[in-house]
Amino acid sequence: MAEVRLDNVTKLYGKKRAVNGVSFTCREGEFLSIFGPTGAGKSTILKMIAGIEDITSGQILFNGRVMNALPPQERNVSMAFESYNLYPHMNVYDNIAFPLRAPRWSLKLTHQEERRRVVEIANFLGIGELLQRLPQHLSGGQKQRVSLARALVRKPEVYLLDEPIAHLDARLKFSTQSLLKEFAATYRSTIIYVTHDYREALALSDSILVLRKGRIEQEGKPDEIYYRPVSDFVGRMIGEPSMNLIDGEITAHNGKTFFQAGESFTLPVSDRLVASMKNAARTESGKSITRLGIRCEHVALSRNRISEESFPFPVYAITHEAESSVVTFALEHAFFYVRTRQEIGFADYRVSEKIWVNFDQDHMFFFPKTLELASR
Amino acid sequence: MSRVDLNGVWKIYPRGNVVGVKDLTFTINDKEFLAILGPSGGGKSSTLRMLAGLEEISRGEIRFDGGVVNTMGPAERNIALAFESYALYQRLSVYENIAFPLRARKMKQAAVDGKVRFIAGLLDLTGLLAKFPGSLAGGQQQRVSLARAFVRQPNLTLLDEPISHMDQRVRAEIRARIRHLHEEMKNTTVYVTHDQAEAVSLCDRMVILHQAQLQQIGTVEEIWNRPANRFVVHFVGEPAMNFMACRIDTGGSLALACAGGMKRLSFSGAVDPARVGAEATLGFRPQEVKIARANGGGNTVPCTVRLTEFQGETTVLTLSIDGAAGSAEVKAVVSATERYRAGETVWLIVAPDKIHLFDGEAPISRRVGG
Repeated sequence: MAEVRLDNVTKLYGKKRAVNGVSFTCREGEFLSIFGPTGAGKSTILKMIAGIEDITSGQILFNGRVMNALPPQERNVSMAFESYNLYPHMNVYDNIAFPLRAPRWSLKLTHQEERRRVVEIANFLGIGELLQRLPQHLSGGQKQRVSLARALVRKPEVYLLDEPIAHLDARLKFSTQSLLKEFAATYRSTIIYVTHDYREALALSDSILVLRKGRIEQEGKPDEIYYRPVSDFVGRMIGEPSMNLIDGEITAHNGKTFFQAGESFTLPVSDRLVASMKNAARTESGKSITRLGIRCEHVALSRNRISEESFPFPVYAITHEAESSVVTFALEHAFFYVRTRQEIGFADYRVSEKIWVNFDQDHMFFFPKTLELASR
Repeated sequence: MSRVDLNGVWKIYPRGNVVGVKDLTFTINDKEFLAILGPSGGGKSSTLRMLAGLEEISRGEIRFDGGVVNTMGPAERNIALAFESYALYQRLSVYENIAFPLRARKMKQAAVDGKVRFIAGLLDLTGLLAKFPGSLAGGQQQRVSLARAFVRQPNLTLLDEPISHMDQRVRAEIRARIRHLHEEMKNTTVYVTHDQAEAVSLCDRMVILHQAQLQQIGTVEEIWNRPANRFVVHFVGEPAMNFMACRIDTGGSLALACAGGMKRLSFSGAVDPARVGAEATLGFRPQEVKIARANGGGNTVPCTVRLTEFQGETTVLTLSIDGAAGSAEVKAVVSATERYRAGETVWLIVAPDKIHLFDGEAPISRRVGG
């Protein structure tokens, strides 16, 4: 399989820059996810790699060879889309076998060999029972798996998968996700995968590109994206609840620096964070304003004072997960969420009760404001 | 605010003689937040519609505070409803949408105004009261819909999948708001959903419906720790419980076929001695196991890491246990700070009190303290 490289690739639709100077390398055998919100340019990048969309400027290279001028059929890629694009008059077997029969690849498989490959991938994806059915007799989730099987049945230079499991129900999504990961590991395939679902991006990828308005906002391994987001945007894209973002003022008393978000939210900031906090600050009506980011599992709660930095705050609401609770707090302009540790079990705090809140300073970030937050 | 009793309630649709709900009996306590959870076609909607008075009850009775309401319509039962589709009146302002159920009851303007402003304050809608629904974002429209449902104190508030289609950030917010409203207003609330995470998140207790029948009613802890059957086990928890074939070895232990022979695992409590030697199914939740790199003895099973799926705070491991009857795959959820690689050999630890045992669909009862 191939190494895929994009060098300063731009795509203009009229005056609109759908993709803006994107460069990255997907190594041979790597699983790379392009992750971002709707309209960020994810699918456009994939289509340019496939050759379905022209490139306005820049280069796309497979194993060092420029692909720009080659039509899709000469690039030897295999695609699956969110929309299934199955051939309605062919049954599931023939749909999956279709790429194996294309004269272009001159595979010239024997009937038995073709059947072996189709049945293998269909069984792998849990649709082995459906081979004789026509697409019109399939559910959305089944069609999507047929489309995925058709993409995976052949070994191309690169697999290009665009939201290939978006329409599966939650349970099937998780199991199919595991299968895809197993497929990638077993065949050491080069896969470029487009998704807006952070769970898929984190679970599947060797590396992730976070795309924002046609540009790469961050590139890194899943744990880097999760633990060291470069911006409020990346923090907010990941997690449920996603990263807490709190706007507040930098204040100082007796040589100590504080982050203040409303009257009862006064957080002493450790000395080593002060520089990054001030870097991220801007001045608004004479005040120095900054944005704090912290994930909900990095805040501790207790009925007793936890540390010098902890402060009491009233509970707004408590909701549950199977083995932990999410405690919500209401600030003047935003909510913030805290997930209790599993060992503790369900929180028994009452609404309006004041409990001690302790922000883990090792997992606290200060970001310049690049994102408008919906006010509560 | 009422206590609601369902007593042998059936819904039979005459066309095709389809049973929508079969002999449903349970109680919704006064001021309780009860979730009705189940897959589509399980009977949730029929139950909701019969509670609301939108659908005739074929057999049995529904009582509000002891009084039978079978023949009463929604208004007479004094019900409030909010749906997944917000069903707001597009030609009315946010204020008038929220005021609508009060005006329908001919409440005086001064009282209407007080109630509308109170609930609008709770839901941060005060600045939006003069706007029209068409100009609001989805999350804001859902807040208006909730405000309309909670503006008065009905006998029963029914919420039908009000947040399942929202994006994750808005979902966390609306969950917190619903729960906060419930604490403030103490309405008896029924929340219908197909999403187990949603039900777990919000409810005091939940009812699980499947194939028109009640499977279990209980708190999240009861459903999690003492599931009534395999369906309930399968439906609640993600990833779902792991199952493996085993044999009951003694009253307090089971034998599992592993690489290198049978592995004995002890479980808490004691089963009926008549079961010793019988085949059974071992169940354990991915969230309730531990993983070790060395064999510490006790309830451990050797396995190979097949896959690691990073989830942020946690990592989901897919493990294979090599046994006599081929290899079994199980899942384990570990903290993301523990790093494992595919191909590595590890030890799976299942504590005796985290072991579930099933005979077919039904759990095997165990004498506590055995």
